[in-house]
Amino acid sequence: MGLLSIIRKIKKKEKEMRILMVGLDNSGKTTIVLKINGEDTSIISPTLGFNIKTIKYQKYSLNIWDVGGQKTIRSYWRNYFEQTDGLVWVVDSSDVRRLDDCRLELENLLKEERLSGASLLIFANKQDIHGSLKPMEIAKILNLDAMDKTRHWEIVGCSAYTGDGLLEGFDWMVQDIASRIYMLE
Amino acid sequence: MEEKCSIEPIVDSLAPDSALQKKHISMLNRLNARHLQKSNSSSSSTGPNSIQSFLDKFSESKRSIESSIECLQTDFTINGSVPQLKLDLEKISSSIAELEKFVAESSYLLPPYEVRAAMKAISDVKDSVEKASGKLLPRKKFSFRNKVTKKDCGGNLVRKVEQIKGTDPIPVERSTIVNDSPGFRNREGATLVKDFRISEENMGDFSLCNLNTCDIYLKGRFRALFVYNIRNSRVFVGPVLGSILIEDVEKCVFMLASQQIRIHEAKATDFYLRLRSRPIIEDCKGLRFGPYKLFYEGIKEELEDSGLEEDTGNWANVDDFRWLKSVHSPNWRLLEEKEQEGSVSISDIC
Repeated sequence: MGLLSIIRKIKKKEKEMRILMVGLDNSGKTTIVLKINGEDTSIISPTLGFNIKTIKYQKYSLNIWDVGGQKTIRSYWRNYFEQTDGLVWVVDSSDVRRLDDCRLELENLLKEERLSGASLLIFANKQDIHGSLKPMEIAKILNLDAMDKTRHWEIVGCSAYTGDGLLEGFDWMVQDIASRIYMLE
Repeated sequence: MEEKCSIEPIVDSLAPDSALQKKHISMLNRLNARHLQKSNSSSSSTGPNSIQSFLDKFSESKRSIESSIECLQTDFTINGSVPQLKLDLEKISSSIAELEKFVAESSYLLPPYEVRAAMKAISDVKDSVEKASGKLLPRKKFSFRNKVTKKDCGGNLVRKVEQIKGTDPIPVERSTIVNDSPGFRNREGATLVKDFRISEENMGDFSLCNLNTCDIYLKGRFRALFVYNIRNSRVFVGPVLGSILIEDVEKCVFMLASQQIRIHEAKATDFYLRLRSRPIIEDCKGLRFGPYKLFYEGIKEELEDSGLEEDTGNWANVDDFRWLKSVHSPNWRLLEEKEQEGSVSISDIC
């Protein structure tokens, strides 16, 4: 039995998925996690380190790692790469000035070998704020079409404030991961 | 083995620890020296010749690799593109791999210095190939991207971002891509007033960008505030429903109320805050914090609607990302009561 099939078997038993949430600071990562878990989102301090949440989603158990996005701690993102099934990149669609930074950080992240197999969900967050860029515009600025063709990715507009689009995004990601890991079912 | 035998009896009898260590080290040194001598003498008959031939061959192939990299680059600058760029780059890297193999095979007859020099040279060549491919290959993508934007008129932003990347990121240039969103930009010595209660932009974000020596008053509620590159200014803002992001400010006074605030690269600036969460600072110096004291007609209701009616005291709970020690960060402190401004009323400003 190969290593891959052993891993598949173990994961199949637990039906567990490891999700890594990253993105620039102020993009709304923690708010998304709390909102999808049905918690209060009105008092959230900027994340100093990281939060872990385990959420039952459909028949799966999502292990969500929400890692702070401040510049000082971005270099520690690498510590969370191991065994990531799904990568969620959160973008503040109203912060046009820093979209270039956002693109560079994402490019750096996708160079990482340990993340090469992970499904990539891009949340174009803060769609509720008037004047924020649409998911299509974000996709162009982040140059997502030029990504490695083997990557499974999707961009979804959302609002962590109202909750719009969050389930749509997670649905896609969970389906995509499931079809890769649990394809023996 | 002989050496060891002659030492051991002394060790066993009476040598103290330090003497033992000294002996041991000297023994190792002697063994080493003998080994080197042996290897030198054994290769001395054929050594210089084979080393010389290795060096010749090595420098020849290294030169050919370097010249092919240069060829690619000059081709590129003259023609603007190289037809089989990827193929050529692959060829170069495979010949580097061959060279590496050659060094590895010859390493047994080379003195350590030569091996190190060869490895260094190889890594240098690798670097220059990487640099060259970094320079040449993305351009290919760039032209492909342009094709896409031609099809689609919504690609304005991409092109703007490209322009900015191409030239120096001067603040004025940068702001051109932000022009779509509402805000005050590129002003000096002005009084800037915005009343969100009478405009329909209160569901959007607002930016303050490249301002010097200005007084800025934002009345009413809105969703998010971005502040970038402000000097010597005073900024008074009604309740912000979402977050505030401040970057690169100096010698300013801010009076702000919001759910969240992040302050980056601020210097010598006072913040009067009311927040639902803890403020964070990053790469800041000389910041002072105090409580929110803004007043205008209707602000009480607006604060209530935003969940900011109470002073949570969070303005004093500053987290400094650049200071992890348990002693207080040197980058910020609280304003003493007598240093603080009195309450600021901007009812009459419109």
